[in-house]
Amino acid sequence: MITAPIHASSAPIQRTPSAEITAADTGSRGPLLLLVCAAAKWLIISGVLALITSIQLFKPAFLADCSWLTHGRAEAMRESVFIYGWAANAGLAVALWVLARLGGSPLRAGNWVIVGTVFWNLGLLAGLVGIALGDATSLSFLELPRYVQPLMLVAYGAMAVAGVLAWAGRRTDGTFASQWYAVAALFLFPWIFSIAQVMLLFAPVRGTLQTIVAGWYVQGAWTLWLAPLALSGAYYLVPKITGRAIPSYFFWTALSFWTLVVVGAWTGGRHLVGGPVPAWIPSVAIVSCSLLLFHYFMVFLNLRGAFGGGGIALKFVSFGLVAYVLGGVTDSITSMRAVAKITQFTHFAVAQQQLAVFGAASMMFFGALYYLVPRVSGRAWASAALVRGHFFLMSLGIMLLVASLTVAGWIQGHALNEAAMVDGKLVLASFAEIAARTQTPLMAAAAANGILLLGSLIFAVNLLRTAFSRAGTVPVTDLLRPTSTMEAPAL
Amino acid sequence: MSTPANQDPRADQAAVTDESLLAVHEKLLGKQPDENANYSLMPLVLLFVFSGLIFWAGTYLNRYSGQFDPGIFNENALSTKGAVVAAPPQDPMKVGASVYAVTCANCHLATGLGQTGTIPPLAESEWVTGSEERLVRIALYGVMGPIKVKGTDFNGVMPPHGKVPGSPYNLTDERVAAVLTYVRQSFGNNAPAITGVQVAAIRGKEGERKAMTQDELMKMP
Amino acid sequence: MKNGPVFFLGLFGAMALSWGSIMLANHQLGTLAPHFDENEGKAFPERSSGIAGRGQLVYADLGCAACHTQQVRRPDFGTDQARGWGERQSFARDYIHQTRVQLGESRVGPDLANLAGRKTPPDAEDLTNLLYAGKTLDPQSKSQHPTYKFLFETREVVGQRAANAVKVANLAPGMQVVPTERARALITYLLSLNNSYAYPSETAWNTVAAVAKEGEHKAPDAKGGADAKAAPAKEAGHK
Repeated sequence: MITAPIHASSAPIQRTPSAEITAADTGSRGPLLLLVCAAAKWLIISGVLALITSIQLFKPAFLADCSWLTHGRAEAMRESVFIYGWAANAGLAVALWVLARLGGSPLRAGNWVIVGTVFWNLGLLAGLVGIALGDATSLSFLELPRYVQPLMLVAYGAMAVAGVLAWAGRRTDGTFASQWYAVAALFLFPWIFSIAQVMLLFAPVRGTLQTIVAGWYVQGAWTLWLAPLALSGAYYLVPKITGRAIPSYFFWTALSFWTLVVVGAWTGGRHLVGGPVPAWIPSVAIVSCSLLLFHYFMVFLNLRGAFGGGGIALKFVSFGLVAYVLGGVTDSITSMRAVAKITQFTHFAVAQQQLAVFGAASMMFFGALYYLVPRVSGRAWASAALVRGHFFLMSLGIMLLVASLTVAGWIQGHALNEAAMVDGKLVLASFAEIAARTQTPLMAAAAANGILLLGSLIFAVNLLRTAFSRAGTVPVTDLLRPTSTMEAPAL
Repeated sequence: MSTPANQDPRADQAAVTDESLLAVHEKLLGKQPDENANYSLMPLVLLFVFSGLIFWAGTYLNRYSGQFDPGIFNENALSTKGAVVAAPPQDPMKVGASVYAVTCANCHLATGLGQTGTIPPLAESEWVTGSEERLVRIALYGVMGPIKVKGTDFNGVMPPHGKVPGSPYNLTDERVAAVLTYVRQSFGNNAPAITGVQVAAIRGKEGERKAMTQDELMKMP
Repeated sequence: MKNGPVFFLGLFGAMALSWGSIMLANHQLGTLAPHFDENEGKAFPERSSGIAGRGQLVYADLGCAACHTQQVRRPDFGTDQARGWGERQSFARDYIHQTRVQLGESRVGPDLANLAGRKTPPDAEDLTNLLYAGKTLDPQSKSQHPTYKFLFETREVVGQRAANAVKVANLAPGMQVVPTERARALITYLLSLNNSYAYPSETAWNTVAAVAKEGEHKAPDAKGGADAKAAPAKEAGHK
């Protein structure tokens, strides 16, 4: 509650540490901690699967004769667990918490969130068993078997309701960028998810229309769901921790938000360059990827305060910000036909995807989780060393993973496209040669996945100790310093 | 308000309250223009960047969208309007062979030898290798009454096969020409091909009529 | 941003706009029909057998699309033609009979869209060895393909050896390794993949005499009609 008007000349109001933690935090403890713990668990499982699939890339015989871990199925499981397990749970935790905090009240419909979380995760587990037994749909990002997807859609609705209520019942009149992004993610995902389910699984469209719809869903899931979830956390943390208003925050920030939301899903055709679809579909996608550069530029301008800020949350957020902008720039470059000719169908595309969902979204989620868990649980993180270790391993792992997959993809792409005339005969690089040339970078990628798995384990251990054991934790109010009032920047 | 360099990672510090954060940003969004008319360069830069991207987008789409035509898969291809779709040329031997197998072989047999007494042979037949006028009329309108082929008499009924009234087959002129060409170059025959144009001309000339008799056929050139 | 319902409408409208692009694509491609060829006397793309359809399900269930694409790119866009994967790019019409289109996004292995239509297509024995022992179709290369021994079963020889038994060394006497029904379906499916027919319309519309690189100007005298009939520039020799 504001007890004094905000004015640059008045003395800053000192708020006590305990006032920093409100009922909005403590009242939402159950649902949010459940989401965070589920997220951590899935992160570990996807880490194990990622390690398996990355080893299989250079050692095809690894676990090949085990029918439920054959490469195609393991890859489908890894992707589903990462997106619908880790990213969904973590992102929802962040978005719901941000909306509750900025709305000024504890999460309403908290029980709905708990029920929704339980069913979402049960559906995912059933889906994983289904994939292992062979029911994968073989649609990228939508691999979960047909029979669990409607359940997950309904469960998501139950979780999203709380967020929308928190926003609708907010105490302030206006809204802040975090809230726009969070509400957009909560509201838009059920639409694209249900449309994809209907048009791909239940009443499938004909021929290559399936790939067009699938591409639209994949890009929509990134630009309309995961990226907004990540940005909602980042846009809140940067001014909150640095104490300075977001730089360049004026109507262009709103324009950047609308650019993402309007143009984002139009990038769906970017993987269909040269494919069996009319040329206008990849052309529109290429153009949209470049239009989105404006959004990435604006986000960088807004969130650049993260680089100077202290604390572990902003370390993660600044890493995520660099990855986010880098990912956007590479998206627009590699969508161009001349570049796509080399990079499409290679590990390079995988590197880009990992840069986005792991490097950008996941790191921003980590930052937000490191900030919110103490406030929601009332206890500071159990071990500072594990926190620092986690950041180190994650950043090292992601940089190594993206770099090695980029190198592997570049080598692979060039080798696939090279055709030399030797002694009058056409010589092409065989797939065995390509495998030999890319073996070293692929081994590095597997090592990176190992590092990331180790980091995830550390995070989970720290989380469990913080949330469930009293020994070794201190109440967060012991560590928090008083907050003051933000000053409006002079023009 | 600066944050100290050493932060305990176990709990991140908040610098400001939520309410002030929201209020300040709300104010920033609705900021009134400065009375001194100092403009900030940033919005101009952003305007140029945004407009530039849209301009590039429009140019690219103009060139590489294939006019949003579903038939254009190659972005370098121009409009489909001027393109002439050349259907692969029909090989009369192939088409004729399949028509013969389905339509004619029942009576004239796959060997072209016909059946004694009723169905004349096509192998080395003077009717096949001779006048096109007669042959086309036979195929279009059928034959009624006795007919002498290679010195032997045959008395059967051949129904009309062309696109004429009463025809159970209604073969197009192209297909009639194809099957006649096939017959003329099979079974030991060697005679020039017949075109669909020829068949159409004859059909146009004759119009509607009953099946031909041998006398009527002999009157043809 | 203040007005709640307006914000939601804005969000929904933005998403619906992109969905509109899907609907446009649906309108354009939804009624693609097979092309009847007079010479061949049949329609293309050809329908595959029921067993091949089940093989497609096996392909999806094993996730083969994780490493294999099923889309051939046009000759001047990569080495697809030089590798013998197809003489022309894949068109939308090639996929209209497939229940689950699996174009794939990764070429750890070769493209399969035209596996049976290649100049030297594999036969059932090649594919059986590929699935059982990982022996790739290129005779010179070391095996790199993962093995799928769970698609095969080892059983007693009763009467005659099965015609499709796998040649395995060091097998106990009186035993044989045969593909299960899933393996047979998968192999039948792979042998049904044939994209070689050249559709007259798509060929005419997508052939350009001189390919302008992205960013360059096209030759000023090139107009649609005349050039569309020109043969595609053969660039196999110098990529």
